[in-house]
Amino acid sequence: MIWRFGLFESTFEPLAVTSWALVVALGWPLLMGGLAALAPPKRAWPVLLASVPLLASGGVLLWSFEGAGLLQWQWSIADLHLSLRLNGLSVLLLLMAQWISVAAALYTPGYLRLTDSGPLSRWLWPLMGVVLSALSLIWLATDLLTLYVALEVLGLAAVGMLMLSGKVPSLVAGMRYLLLALVGSLTYLLGIALILGHWGRLDLQGLAEVIEPGPVAWFAAALMGAGLALKAALFPLHAWLTPVHENAWVPVSAVHAGLVIKASLFILLQLWSLLLPDTFYAPRLIAWLGLLAIVWGGLLAWRTDSLKTLVASSTVAQLGYLMVAFPLLLGPDVAPFPRALAWEGFWLQLMGHAFAKAAMFLAAGNLMLATGESTLKGLAGTSRRLPLSLLVLGIASITLMGLPPSAGFTAKWLLLEAMIITQQWWAVAALLTGTLLTAAYVFRMFRYSFDETAPRHRYQPLAPGMDLIALTLALIAFALGLLAHYPLELMYGGSP
Amino acid sequence: MIASHDAVDVVLALCLTMAALVCLFDRHMVRACRLFVAFAAAMTLAWWRLEAPWLAVVELALGVGLTGLCFFYALGRVYADAQSSLKHDHFREPWSRVVIRVVLALAWFVFVGAAIRYVMADMVYSPTEHPLLLAGVIITATALGAFALHQHLIRRLLAFNLLGSGVFMLLAGVAGTSLAAQALISVGLLVACLGSILGALLIRQLLRLEGADALGQDDRPKERTT
Repeated sequence: MIWRFGLFESTFEPLAVTSWALVVALGWPLLMGGLAALAPPKRAWPVLLASVPLLASGGVLLWSFEGAGLLQWQWSIADLHLSLRLNGLSVLLLLMAQWISVAAALYTPGYLRLTDSGPLSRWLWPLMGVVLSALSLIWLATDLLTLYVALEVLGLAAVGMLMLSGKVPSLVAGMRYLLLALVGSLTYLLGIALILGHWGRLDLQGLAEVIEPGPVAWFAAALMGAGLALKAALFPLHAWLTPVHENAWVPVSAVHAGLVIKASLFILLQLWSLLLPDTFYAPRLIAWLGLLAIVWGGLLAWRTDSLKTLVASSTVAQLGYLMVAFPLLLGPDVAPFPRALAWEGFWLQLMGHAFAKAAMFLAAGNLMLATGESTLKGLAGTSRRLPLSLLVLGIASITLMGLPPSAGFTAKWLLLEAMIITQQWWAVAALLTGTLLTAAYVFRMFRYSFDETAPRHRYQPLAPGMDLIALTLALIAFALGLLAHYPLELMYGGSP
Repeated sequence: MIASHDAVDVVLALCLTMAALVCLFDRHMVRACRLFVAFAAAMTLAWWRLEAPWLAVVELALGVGLTGLCFFYALGRVYADAQSSLKHDHFREPWSRVVIRVVLALAWFVFVGAAIRYVMADMVYSPTEHPLLLAGVIITATALGAFALHQHLIRRLLAFNLLGSGVFMLLAGVAGTSLAAQALISVGLLVACLGSILGALLIRQLLRLEGADALGQDDRPKERTT
């Protein structure tokens, strides 16, 4: 498992142009966010112009990885070693974060113009920049100190971003999120303390050589797991997620549900594959909780009346699919082939869900803006008047349901194959139940939208491009399924 | 490592524990916040005793200075505007809730104690040689219990800050005050301070919009999720 995360010596030194691309990828969002706070953009084109260097930096990093394989950067201050690595997985996740953030940023000016967003709206830009920088750092960092700093910065910026709408329910939900996230990071810090106290180092590559299974590793894994699961909204610790999204601005929800909670999950899997290789019970526990998450999240989404709660609850269920794959990735006695299948399926599901969920939030936001209502019943008549927004919602739902040829389908196919080979029938049952439940709540939503009898009032016209941005994200989620071989090959590039 | 028979350390550990306990369970919030400042001052002394002057400076500036100021601002003592300032926590907790939280705190105490026992094997034979580490374990356990028990947002924020200090003490006790540990603790202190500032601003805004009752409706997730 360790080599899959790129924790080994690289063959080549990074070129100067690659290092500069790294600096741009990490620093540019901060710079542009700061500038945008001083002069908030009113149209989408300045945002597009500002994001060109960022997307170019992602392209250069991809090109460098394809040329040279794994790349590493290291700094040492006295006995403190900081390091970054770029492997296939981190390139993919970096590109995902950049594309979704840019899409959300392009969506923002139109959204802020159409809603009366108040004076706080200028602070959205720097917070978004900080979130993107911290996310990029998390995909790249390979020492516990950098990971801790990035995770904290990400958490605080995310809380700030979610509360900008300033309504009382959003403040109450945000305060709760803030307190829980802070306590979660203290638990995580206590886990680091145990590791530092016992093994005396913080770099993952060095730790991979010295860590042996034992009580200290178990305690550290439990503490870090609890803290990160709280931040990632994994099943029994998910209650803060829905109220937070209920009142947040739409582009903020898209970035948060698509990217921010995935960062904690990424760190969790990376640390557990160091601390708990080939253990039986811990991944099993996560998988059983994942089974419950699929059922519970699906039921919540099925029963709700509010469009945003539906989209947010479905995140809980979709994270359940990822949790169910834990025993295949970390458990003992899994043959290399099903493990490789599960690894591919896990990341494809994560990326497909990120794009589809962001698209779904943006499309739902479009529908809510246009109709002026936030309930499912308010969707009545939209099939005739707002076909494009509804189409985007449909394409995103196909990925969530896992119908071919979307990323959700390919990912579930890979996971199912791995589960059948290892004969984990209950996991197969969980995946199938989840698909049925997803279909149930998605079709319930569409039933309302095809209702033609409702009296229809006026629709608010949307800003140009708002539908197009959501459509692009939904189509990327689709294309990830059709062209899955390319990202999957990338994940294996540069292996030793 | 925190290991000495020094009487000063024992007195310091006792002071820290007492200040933390009273601060966590005093319903008079102004007094609790004053005690928090005293606790942070004692922490500064503790860092200095542990030969981590850099951490002492950070604790003095962020813990005593900024975070203390935040709490008094949240209470409406620093920057008095039209709203009445807060003094007492009037929210009542039912007994079932209290019992569950006590069990939670005890479980956490046993868990952390066991974890530290495995990391520092010599601790079993001479627990009194590590007074600050023991204080850290007790403070984290009670602070976590109090965090889960209280409904008032200011008291939860206080409990979080004390939990943070306890965790930093454990970190220093387990891992010593090497450069890596000092860097981790400084980042932790900074984050706790930023979190407190954000929390205080939020509490003030909630007070302005909804009044004092809004500060207690934090713990009813079921009503809003369904």
